[in-house]
Amino acid sequence: MSGADIVVQVLADEGTKVLFGYSGGAILPVYDAIFRYNAMHRDADGRDPLALIVPANEQGAGFMASGFARASGGVGVAVVTSGPGATNLVTPIRDALADSIPMVAICGQVPTAALGSDAFQEAPVANIMGACAKHVFLVTDASQLEATLRTAFELARSGRPGPVVVDIPKNVQNIVQPFDGARHLPIPGYRRRLEALEHARLGDADCGRLLDALAQARRPLVYAGGGVVASGAAPALRAFSRAFGLPVVTSLMGLGVMDTRDPLALHMLGMHGTAYANYAVEDCDFLLVLGARFDDRVAGVPDKFAPRARFIAQIDIDPAEVGKVKAVDWAHVGQLGASLERIAQHARSRGVNLQLDAWHAHLAGLKRVHAMNYDRASPLLQPQAVIEAINRQTCGRAIIATGVGQHQMWSAQFFDFAEPRHWLTSGSMGTMGFGLPAAIGAQFAHPEATVIDVDGDGSIRMNVGELETVATYGLPLKIVLLNNHGDGMVRQWQKLFFKSRYSATDKNLHTKDFVRAAQADGIVWARRLERKEELEATVAEFLAVAGPAFLEVVVDPDAGVYPMVGPGASYAQMITGDFIPSRETPAPVDAEASTTHMF
Amino acid sequence: MKHTLSILLQNESGALVRVAGLFAARHVNIDALTVAATHDPAISQLTLVLHGDEGTLEQILRQLRKLVDVLDASSLSLAAGFGQPTLAAHT
Repeated sequence: MSGADIVVQVLADEGTKVLFGYSGGAILPVYDAIFRYNAMHRDADGRDPLALIVPANEQGAGFMASGFARASGGVGVAVVTSGPGATNLVTPIRDALADSIPMVAICGQVPTAALGSDAFQEAPVANIMGACAKHVFLVTDASQLEATLRTAFELARSGRPGPVVVDIPKNVQNIVQPFDGARHLPIPGYRRRLEALEHARLGDADCGRLLDALAQARRPLVYAGGGVVASGAAPALRAFSRAFGLPVVTSLMGLGVMDTRDPLALHMLGMHGTAYANYAVEDCDFLLVLGARFDDRVAGVPDKFAPRARFIAQIDIDPAEVGKVKAVDWAHVGQLGASLERIAQHARSRGVNLQLDAWHAHLAGLKRVHAMNYDRASPLLQPQAVIEAINRQTCGRAIIATGVGQHQMWSAQFFDFAEPRHWLTSGSMGTMGFGLPAAIGAQFAHPEATVIDVDGDGSIRMNVGELETVATYGLPLKIVLLNNHGDGMVRQWQKLFFKSRYSATDKNLHTKDFVRAAQADGIVWARRLERKEELEATVAEFLAVAGPAFLEVVVDPDAGVYPMVGPGASYAQMITGDFIPSRETPAPVDAEASTTHMF
Repeated sequence: MKHTLSILLQNESGALVRVAGLFAARHVNIDALTVAATHDPAISQLTLVLHGDEGTLEQILRQLRKLVDVLDASSLSLAAGFGQPTLAAHT
């Protein structure tokens, strides 16, 4: 087999069904091998076993692979050429690392003899990606190619998942050698640590200490993050929460681990979390942190986060996350699902009875009094109303992808999520332009599902070329553009913290006709909605379109995202805005004077 | 406080850059770095000196142990008691 054939065979063996990538000189042998593999293995219906999806830009390929991985739980695969092909992939790779998403990126590279010669389309991919990926391999020894590729998949999906880059010089793709079918790289250090993680079991004493603290708690709370999604521990969490009556707040990345409509679910905490989730964090006296990492959008001021918690416990797969931001009283590094089951089992054997009626009543009151709300009386279309209208039809069952900014936060706040992996968003990196390609990737993972990209005008423009990709592949994707004619989140910060000096946001994004852009790219059903009274009917028609559909909604440009815990502020100082009652008048925060939190 | 780390590293392409890059990315300064061969040609021994508090040391050690090429990473200063690094093994 040639190196290129080995690449394709390992991809197939690892269960890859869809590849996202753009061709070019240094990856041509692999693209040829994909063509030949598909020609040889095409099924009776004429379908390619390794569907190759071509984006407008390699960044699109990366986010499609990421969306595929986020929606399916499998490894997303991108295949690109050297130099600019690989550097265009840097942003999605870093994005995937920051959100712990399993991906394998295969990059063509100039031939080994040309490495370091400033050759055409040469870039030091191992150096560049080394800082962005979970791991990078530069395969200069052809005999290691097969083992390296298989190990790349193993690394991507094991432990704390992440993206792995395999940089393959063109001559290595052409060298013919025997195919073994099973070889892995030894990676002894990683494997030894992984083994320890997988076998880390909670002892009786550890369980006992945690349950002692829980038994004394009157106001216990669970803070669940993306790790619960990544580890498939949502069923274990739901059972655990139900068994003890523990209410759960989730981070942006953890949305869907509880059905958001569950009485014990308090939706999202953090900078733009629900007021009731944030007040619950203020009030709790016991906090169990699961697969979450006290990110600065959650614990902007770590010392003031959960100030009344007498006991904070943390379970995570990554030892580096324990105590990184906030000291905890109890920690376990290991598998989430197994740990929760172990604790529950221990609790059953010793009998733990929590009296949480008062706490439940308190939280129900918070939910009622501080419910999410917005300017419902405005004559202008409110972005939150659009999301509510979609949500009434999809009932938490649609897969929602977003860009980054206000529309992302409104989507997080106002959509329901019945299951994990229905919410695809660039959480840590906050990459504008993520939504459309991620939704495309998710639609390939779930061809029958309702996949909706809720995007902003600034975000969608960043990868607007991928509208054509939707049409090319005839995807039934639904794209909702909440157009507020500008970078709304930046404007919101400028209004609040820069005395309304709208630097760079005053002229931007006023001329583009997105409906005509969508039509020009081949999306036949493309409409603009400007009147409030047409909202329900238009949304219903839009969602019922069999093929791709694009709906631009011209929304109130002054709508803000609330609640908001300002930079450098505690949850007690949360601003709830004009439409959600605040518990107390928040003290003003002079964020402009703060330097460390001003981002 | 000054800390001395001992890192056993697989001799892979770009491995040293990944260790150095980790320190740069995590904003930890390397005061001194020595790379030595070991009896196993596939493994290098790094001895590295950094400044930082205990939290910085603990975090950088944990991040180092996440690097795939790193076989082992430990603090000699921790082993010998704070501020009393024993370099005898490396001289």
